[in-house]
This record gives sequence, structure tokens and C-alpha cells, in this order.
Amino acid sequence: MTRFLLRRLFQAAVVLVVLAAVLYACFYLAPGDAARLACGPKCNTAQITQIRGQMGLDDPVYVQFWHFLSGIVAGHDYSTGTDVLHCPAPCLGQSYRTGELVTTMIGQKLPATASLAFGAMVLWLVIGVGTGLLSALRRGTVTERLLTGFTLVGTATPVFITGILLLLVFCSWLQWLPYPSYVPLTEDPQQWAWNLLLAWLALALVEAAKYARLTRSSMLETLAEDHIRTFRAYGVGERAIVVRHALRGALTPVIALSALDLGTMFGGALLTETLFNIPGLGQQLVQSVQIKDVPVVVGIVLVMGLAVVVANAVADVLYAVADRRVVLA
Amino acid sequence: MRHLSFTSRRIGVIAVGLALAGGAVACGPKSGDDAKSGSDGKPKQGGTLYVLNNQAQEDFDPARLYTSGGGNVPSLVYRTLTTRNRADGAAGSKVVPDLATTTGEPSKDATVWTYHLKDGLKYEDGSPITTADIKYDIERSFAPELSGGAPYLRDWLEGAADYQGPYKDPKGLSAIETPDAKTIVFHLNKPEGEFPLLATQTSFAPVPKAKDTGTKYAAHPVSSGPYKVISNENNGEHIVLKRNPNWSAATDDQRKAYPDTIDVQSGLDQAVINQRLSAGVGKDADAVTTDTNLGPAELAKVTGDKNLAKRVGTGHFGYTDYIAFNPKVKPFDNIKVREAIAYAVNRTTVINAQGGSSLNEPATTFLPAQASFGYTPYDPFPAGKTGDPAKAKELLKEAGYPNGLTVSLTHDVTKGDEQGPEVATAVQEALKAAGITVKLDGQEHAAFSDKIHTLKTEPGFFLTGWGADWPSGGPFLGPIFDGRQIVDNGANFNNAQLDDASVNSEIDAINKITDLKAAAVRWGALDKKIGEQALTVPLWHPVYKRLFGKNIKNVVISDWTGVLDISQVAVK
Repeated sequence: MTRFLLRRLFQAAVVLVVLAAVLYACFYLAPGDAARLACGPKCNTAQITQIRGQMGLDDPVYVQFWHFLSGIVAGHDYSTGTDVLHCPAPCLGQSYRTGELVTTMIGQKLPATASLAFGAMVLWLVIGVGTGLLSALRRGTVTERLLTGFTLVGTATPVFITGILLLLVFCSWLQWLPYPSYVPLTEDPQQWAWNLLLAWLALALVEAAKYARLTRSSMLETLAEDHIRTFRAYGVGERAIVVRHALRGALTPVIALSALDLGTMFGGALLTETLFNIPGLGQQLVQSVQIKDVPVVVGIVLVMGLAVVVANAVADVLYAVADRRVVLA
Repeated sequence: MRHLSFTSRRIGVIAVGLALAGGAVACGPKSGDDAKSGSDGKPKQGGTLYVLNNQAQEDFDPARLYTSGGGNVPSLVYRTLTTRNRADGAAGSKVVPDLATTTGEPSKDATVWTYHLKDGLKYEDGSPITTADIKYDIERSFAPELSGGAPYLRDWLEGAADYQGPYKDPKGLSAIETPDAKTIVFHLNKPEGEFPLLATQTSFAPVPKAKDTGTKYAAHPVSSGPYKVISNENNGEHIVLKRNPNWSAATDDQRKAYPDTIDVQSGLDQAVINQRLSAGVGKDADAVTTDTNLGPAELAKVTGDKNLAKRVGTGHFGYTDYIAFNPKVKPFDNIKVREAIAYAVNRTTVINAQGGSSLNEPATTFLPAQASFGYTPYDPFPAGKTGDPAKAKELLKEAGYPNGLTVSLTHDVTKGDEQGPEVATAVQEALKAAGITVKLDGQEHAAFSDKIHTLKTEPGFFLTGWGADWPSGGPFLGPIFDGRQIVDNGANFNNAQLDDASVNSEIDAINKITDLKAAAVRWGALDKKIGEQALTVPLWHPVYKRLFGKNIKNVVISDWTGVLDISQVAVK
């Protein structure tokens, strides 16, 4: 297990450094001059030169990248004009646009994104696995057809339609909920949940369909396997077969998939964030890409990358727990 | 001036808007209590005003803000030497004194401008506002640490072109003198009759040197206006302002400051903003937006719903969207080709591609249709509402293209953008009727901006737009047609790369005039003269239509900003 973790850690570090290098290269090659964008409209040449110097863009790209890497290990000091701003390790640099530390910006936005991702995952697992199980066990009945229909509609409706409909129905017509505005969990857990509920639901409805289908087919497959037939022959009760034996095997792919989805959710929920007024990483990423704010983009993408890597490792561990045939090495 | 920014989110908004248009009409929320709505009720002090916006109020530092007339939210916190007149329509295009006693006393040739501060001006902490603090903020606006502000002072102030700001160069700008705490004198390197209009920008707000925190100042700026900043989260995403007890209406006849608290929320989806303002549930009845136009769903709804129609604020901001030519690229060196395109353009389909006629007015002049710009109606290539392909074909024949020609039109690929693919396609269609085959050259947003504003890569035929830094011909015609403003290495806006001695000297002559009305007449005449050279094809001037909540009173929309002025609005 320790060897597994160490190896995973090393792999993760390599993946993240490569990711950062690729991003730096992409932005270096992509059209658009960050200094010109930061300078604003109608900038003259002298101004752009000054700003380019201020941002450290005069250095060759590999030197810029080296500064970035050394900042992660050793930290950095930046000038605010009137004072010195210390950026402790792991320092991801300073926004070209605002001069804010990237780590501070991520620290402000990550809780909202994490709240959205985890809450949505819980909901989509409950809805998805629940409907999937029901349709597997009630195969060929009206219930199954209804549930299949429901999941189809769920997958087919984009989140910006589902989202705006949820807002229209619950906030405008029924007025059961106020229009959401994000409240941090640490401030007021109850308000946190109420304000995120519709956003979770919107994401969960889109994602749940996938899980329902996966759970259903995987459950049916497991139920048809030899060992289940043997259990049945021994006279084990149907409930025990489903809950204690079949479910365990059937959920393995579900676990793997949800870990991956959770990872991508850390960067991919832009539409949900804007619709439900959640100040998360997705919105920030899009803004920063538009103005070529490279340190912020690289910082956020690294966090997203880290989320995927960690989620994968967790999935592997859970896989081993659920299915004892899997060995971690 | 920056381009109007539309994000790609609009695609979603439009799709949803269309999907919901039918349903929203039939079963929208009941609008209650309409007797109180609109601007008829007498405004009172108190309450909280909510501002629901799409774009964050970024860069809240007065040295970094790039505003027209001091901005809407910023002007609640930052007072400036002069400001825009807070009045409806054309009266709102005038410049009036703010911290200063007058709009400025010019020297005879308008190269030296002197201002005196009013008595009793205080910051939020009760300390007095001095001219040294105004000078200091102007110096800050030159600092590369605080990039983003308007560039005029760098060009106008004597010896300021290479100044690096007070952090790197504490000696400061010698072109600004503060002989005493209440007097400030600006020495310009050329006559600038419009200096009072520039002095409305937030770089002319006071910043006390002892309280300056450099790049961190925007989070807790020191207020000189009727409100102080209580919190500024995530670079302007959520700003809460509360009444500043040290501001006095006796020294400020422009800002009404009715609400006690102003809560500015941004990053909201445009469809959600419109849904909330139209439903007006709870606190949303006390809400306004300053950056989100009605969506298709609401536009469809207002025609049949009088109560909702009463809550739409319509305004005009000086802006022109146009086709630009670069005559250095063939065949656009031939004026007949440019004229042919001007005749062939169908402004009706172009406007429909950009949201329809209620949000856009057809344009044939480069200057916006407002007196303060010196608007002089002219239409040198009358294309009518739908274009004149026959006349265009005739001109092409004269130009040596009897069998038509093929050209490429550079545009932004961002859907819904003013320079987006919808508009480009409408131009393409219209030109087809005149025998001109248009190949579309779509560019990603940042690449597009880079390509059209860099001399070396500038294409011959592209879509672009220009907006007012202040409502006058100067900042409209100067950057686009003044030959000395062609920028070799940096962002160039003189698309036609026009360097015409007679145009340059007329611009210089008008800049000497300090009577803004007299100057406007000359700007209008110059616009007409340039327009005849067919260097641009003006397409449309945008119209702003924005919803406000049921409890909102005293809606004032000037032609300077085109949107309701937050400093005038009351919720009680």
C-alpha cells in the first residue's frame, strides 16, 4: 500500500509538471499579447514595454517557467508598489491582471467549486444508483420504462436549460427558494445547503442518467454471473443476494466513474456556476483565459489536474476495497 | 475605448430565451403593486439597492479603472475634479464641476488648466481632500503595477510620455503643480479644449498617499464620495457599499445617494438577471442591472405587458459598429470598391443578426447620433434600408471588376458578439447580391483583436466598433483618423492608416476650442468630410434596454452612459 501511494505521488508530480509546461508553451505560442491585454485599450508602446517588464515577460519562456517552478518550492516576493507582498511556497505566482496571488485566488474559489462538486456527486449517486437498481430489479415493467425515459430526458437536456427551468419554477413561480447566492459552509451550513440545492440538482439530473444506465447494466450482468446462481441454488434470500453480493460487484465501475467525474467537475461546471451565482474556479478560468492571465490559468488547471489525479488514486483504492481480486502495487 | 463585451454565455442565454419565450408570456409571475412602480413615486432615503450584473466591477482602483465619465458604481466612491451632469438624455452629456468649483479655467491657448477645490471636502475618515492627493492618483495611473487606465494624460501632459509612476519615480510629474492644498494646475504639451471632459475619469480622484497600498488598494479604497467600500470580494465580484457619513450633499449637487446600502453582485448569468428583475420576488424588487440588456424572452414580453414595459430603461451610449477598410490592402485601395460595398450593405439584415431593431439603430455617420458629438446627418452612399446592389455593381464595373470580385472579411468567431459570425454572414449575403463573393475569415476573440489592431497583420476588410470615452467628437474621430495616432508597435486604431494633413490640422484646430458647442459643430463637419472617403461603412448604433425592479424610483438615464445612474436611484 505504501509503495502504491509513493508511486502514485511521483506519477502525480510528473503529470502536473508536464501539464504546467504544456500550458506555458501553449500560451507562449498562442496569439495575443498578455501585456497588451493587461494594459487596456489604446496603450502606447512605452506603456506596453513597462508593463511587459513588470510582468517579467521580457525573459525567455523557459526562464519564466523556471521562475514558476522555483516559486512552488521556495516562494516569491512581489512588489505592490508601496510594499512587499510575500508569496509563501507553494507559490503559484501572481495574476498579471490584478497582482493578486494565485494561491489566494484559488483559496477563495476552491471551497465553492468543491461544495458544488461533492454535493452534486452525492445527489447524482443517490438518484443514479437508485433508479439504476430499480430498473434492473423491475426489468420489463412500466416502472423500468418510466425510469429509462426519465434518464433519457436527463441526459438529453443541457445543464443551462435544466438550470434555468429549475430557477424559473422554484424561485420565480413557486417561490419555495430564493434566487441562490453562495454562502460558505463555514458561515452558515444550512444556508449553504439551501443556496446550493438547485445547482446540485441541475448537475445531478444531467449526470444521474449516466449512472442509472451504468448501474442497471452492471447489476444485470452481475446477477447473471455464476456465483450469484450458486448463491441462489444454496437458497440465499433474494434481498441478501442483491445487497450483500451483487451490489458490491455491480458498483465497482460506478465508483471508478464517479471519481473521474468528480475530478473533472472541479473545472468543468462553468455554466452551472454562472447560472447559480457560485463564485467558483470555472468562471475564473474562463475570464483568465480570455485575458491570457497565464499564472492564474496554470494555477487553476494544476488544481483541476490534481483533483483528477487524486480522484483516480482514490478510485483505485476503493476498487480494491470493493473487489478483493484487485491488488494495489 | 474598449469594445462592448459580450461573452460566449450569450449563446446559452439566447437559446434559453427562445425556448422560454412562449412559456414566460403565458404563465409569468403576477406583477403586483404596480401603482408604486416606475419613477412617479417621490424618492426617499433609506433601504438597500441591489445591482445584479454579468460582468464583475474589476480593477476598482481609481488609477486602473477605464471609465466613461467616472463610471457608475465607481462614481459612488470616487469624486473627481469634474463629473457628468446627472440628467436624462442630452442634458446628461454635459460636464459639470465635482470636487472643483468650475469645470476648469483654461489659459488662452488651452494648454494650461487650473482648478480650485470646493470648501469642506472630506474623505470617509474625516480628513481633508487636497489637490496633492489628486496629483498623486494621476501619478499612480502611470505605474505599470496599476495598468489598465485611460492613456490620454500620457499623451497630453508635458514630459509624461515615459513616466513610470510614483513607486519607481517618486519625484512625480512636473507637469502638474499644486501651489496650495486647494489649487491644481495642469500643463499640457498641446491645446486640449476637452480637458474638462477628461477630468471626469477616475484618475482625477484623490488618493491619500499615506493610505495607498499599491495593488491592494482596490479592496479598501478611501472614499471621497457618498458611499464607502465595506467589502470588495474576488476583485469586484461582490461589492458592498454603505453611506459615508463624511460626505456632504452641500458640496455635491450631482449624487442623490438615496439608499443607505448598495450591494453589487456580479458574475450572474444574463438570462437569470432578466428573469429575476422581471419576477421581482423579494429583494429583487429593489434591484437594477447596469450591464444586461433585455433578452429575447423579455423583448417579446414587453410589447404585450404594459407593467413590464414601464420597468424598461432605454438609453443611448455613444458607440458605432462599423466595417473598416485598410486601403493598404488591395482591392480596398480603390475607393470605388469601398463605395460599392457601402452601397451593397443591407443594414436591416445586419441589425437583425445583432438582436433586432429595438436594440440597434441603423447608422450612416461615424459619429453617434447625439448633438454633443456634433452629429451631422449625412449618407454619402445611400443604401436605403436593404442595400442597393445595382448601384454597387455599377461602381464595381467602373472600378474594373465587371464580373464581380472575391474578398475576405475578418471577424470574431464569438457567437452573439458585435463582430461575430452572425453579422459577418449578413454582410456576406448582402454583398453576394452585388456580385461580391465574401470569404469569411473568423478569428478567435483575442487573436481577432490582435490581428486588426496590429499594423503588420491588419486585414483589408473587417468588422469593428468604437465607443466614447466622453461624449464629444474628439475621442471619437482622433484615435481613428488622426495620422499621428497611428501606432507602429502596439494597438493601432487608425484602421485606414489615414494620415491626411488637412484632417490632422483640422483636429488640431478644433482641440484649441474651449467652447464645446462650437467644437461639436466642427467635429460634425469633419466627420462628414472623412465619411465621403468611404474608409468605413457605419452599420449601427446600439440601444440599451435594461429592466429595473418594481420598487425603483427616480430613474435617470443620460446620453453619456446610456444606463440608469445608480447615484440617482431610490428604493423607498
